[in-house]
Amino acid sequence: MPPKTGPPSYVFWKASDLKHIIFALAISAAFTPSLVRADIVDEILDDQVLPAMQALAESSEDLAQVAATICRPGASPLRAAYHRAFDAWVRVSHLRFGPTETNNRAFALAFWPDSRGKTPKTLAKHLRSADPALLTPEGIAQSSIAGRGFYALEFMYFDQNFTSAKPHEYRCALTAAMAQDIAVNTAAIHRDWQDSYADQMRNASGRYQDETEVKQELFKSLNTGLQLLADMRLGRPLGSFDKPRPKRAEAWRSGRSQHHIVLALQSLQPLAIALADGDQDLIARLEAAFQKPILRALRLDDPRLEGVADPAKRFRLEALQQEINDLRALIESDLGPSLGVLAGFNSLDGD
Amino acid sequence: MTSRRGFLAGLLASSLAPTPSWADLGRPAFLTAAKNPDGSYLLAGLSEAGAIQFTCPLPGRGHAAAAHPTRPEAVAFARRPGRFADVIDCRNGTPLARLEPPKGHHFYGHGLFTPDGSRLFTTENDYENGRGRIGIWEVARGYRRIGSFDSGGIGPHDMLLRQSQSGPQLAIANGGIETHPNSGRAKLNLPQMRPNLSLLSLDGQVQEVMELAPELHLNSIRHLAISSQGILGFAMQWQGDPGADLPLLGLYEPGTPPDLLAEGDPRLRNMRGYGGSVAFSPDGLTIAVTSPRGGVVQVMETSSGHIIKEHALRDVCGLATAQNGFIASTGLGAIAALTGHTAKQLRHHDLAWDNHLVPLT
Repeated sequence: MPPKTGPPSYVFWKASDLKHIIFALAISAAFTPSLVRADIVDEILDDQVLPAMQALAESSEDLAQVAATICRPGASPLRAAYHRAFDAWVRVSHLRFGPTETNNRAFALAFWPDSRGKTPKTLAKHLRSADPALLTPEGIAQSSIAGRGFYALEFMYFDQNFTSAKPHEYRCALTAAMAQDIAVNTAAIHRDWQDSYADQMRNASGRYQDETEVKQELFKSLNTGLQLLADMRLGRPLGSFDKPRPKRAEAWRSGRSQHHIVLALQSLQPLAIALADGDQDLIARLEAAFQKPILRALRLDDPRLEGVADPAKRFRLEALQQEINDLRALIESDLGPSLGVLAGFNSLDGD
Repeated sequence: MTSRRGFLAGLLASSLAPTPSWADLGRPAFLTAAKNPDGSYLLAGLSEAGAIQFTCPLPGRGHAAAAHPTRPEAVAFARRPGRFADVIDCRNGTPLARLEPPKGHHFYGHGLFTPDGSRLFTTENDYENGRGRIGIWEVARGYRRIGSFDSGGIGPHDMLLRQSQSGPQLAIANGGIETHPNSGRAKLNLPQMRPNLSLLSLDGQVQEVMELAPELHLNSIRHLAISSQGILGFAMQWQGDPGADLPLLGLYEPGTPPDLLAEGDPRLRNMRGYGGSVAFSPDGLTIAVTSPRGGVVQVMETSSGHIIKEHALRDVCGLATAQNGFIASTGLGAIAALTGHTAKQLRHHDLAWDNHLVPLT
């Protein structure tokens, strides 16, 4: 039986958010020229990466604490803590280098897409075996990454095959251990960023040979984020017109699919703007190119992207994907060269 | 009347005395195609340290190349749908012959010489009939076309020579994708595609055909490497939906089932579904695969199949066995040595290196 889910348990954004965003865009455009700009690497680390990693670690720790005391998957404090921590992850999900790649931490936080359905299989196996070793931090860290992280926890909290799975006691303990594992992992990422990785990016002389390489790494993460958006977050559920795949939407069980698109665009925009390094003309074009898909994504009113299978709604998602691809093209053609990044001879056009 | 071929044959014959050899060029280690900053194309010979030892201009974008076993002649293959393969005297860049595929065929961009250097084989698309063919060219007669045989599948791409107990054989990566020049590079048969790795005798007799499980039928087997023990490595390119979790590198020892490496390791996703070039380390204990899309080289242990190292290298594609591990080239002009756990840039040239580094053996 396919899992049933109710409407999202709370509203992710309100119409007033739109005004805030437009206001924020106006502010940034109006004030940037008069500011004395800091080094862009410092700016990106201090204003974006480090606070976002801290928020991820802190919200994950909160989730672990709530999950240790509340077991009922529908409990609103638990869901709220889960949503906050997952939001914090989506905001950094493009920063896939360095601390996130050590020990496969990012994959253990976010095993998605899961084209072979490994996550539910792994979780079902865990529940069948009821192995107490999995309830320890070391035990779960050794287990399959498909059964760890935010996407696995989503099954435990939102999929009816798991929300009431037996044995009850073990399910409670397992979800608590999964949340604790997320907290351990995100704390390690945050610690590495704080203790060493940010400094390695600021004083490029080892891992990065010079500042250009650092900027190129950040540029690559911007591209990674946009590609993930267009090809995975939108592309996978869109499938083809004849064969849309709504059940491939990211985190549809918790009604987060649309929300992730908004979050990702909102965290990629400041990165792109910072990388434009004060070039006002380019910044204006980037802001316009981000604003279109952000507004469209906010207005979709389709939390699970079910519209991919509805011809009357599908075109809006296709248009959104196109706007994101336009944004990629602009970044490739206008932002890349200023950072010494040319389109790849081999990567663009393989054989 | 002196025919073009007759003239070329004479030219080749006269260049045999005194016998020229690769040593005249300081023994280059690799051949590779590249693009100049001005947009023109060339074939280059590189030393083991990545220094350019010679360059020859090409009329269009190249792909791979084949080196004659003894004479300093290289055949530079055009990128598919290839309309030319230029035979070049690598001592001075003189074009010796231009091979053109027969009507209704195009080259795929790879080829090789027989061990005695008497024949050249080319992977070809017989596009009107949707069949893969191997073209045969007689070297001593000015690279005259003398025939062709079936490749054992659709879309033969890379091809290597392998020594078996019954003598030398061709290992052919039949990528499985049907294309037609009228449709550009469009893939015409994805729902039905069935790639394979075929082993053929030098006269075209099929000896073995390796196919993967049906659920991997969209995983195009495209590039090959061979270890000193005769084990084949094959790199694949996924044609299905992005985000699928799939192996992109396998080992095949004829007579045994294929061994897919790093299956289930999430880091395979860093390859973005695309294995570019593949090579074994000299001892055969590790095998590496490049992904220009992911900007990464993954090194795997052949015994366990585990990924033991990922090297981040932007726009990397060319890869070959080197003395202490691997050598890689990038579209940004870098030549890098990958040894153990380190990647070290050997050289940087103001060129975009194309897909492959072809070892001269």
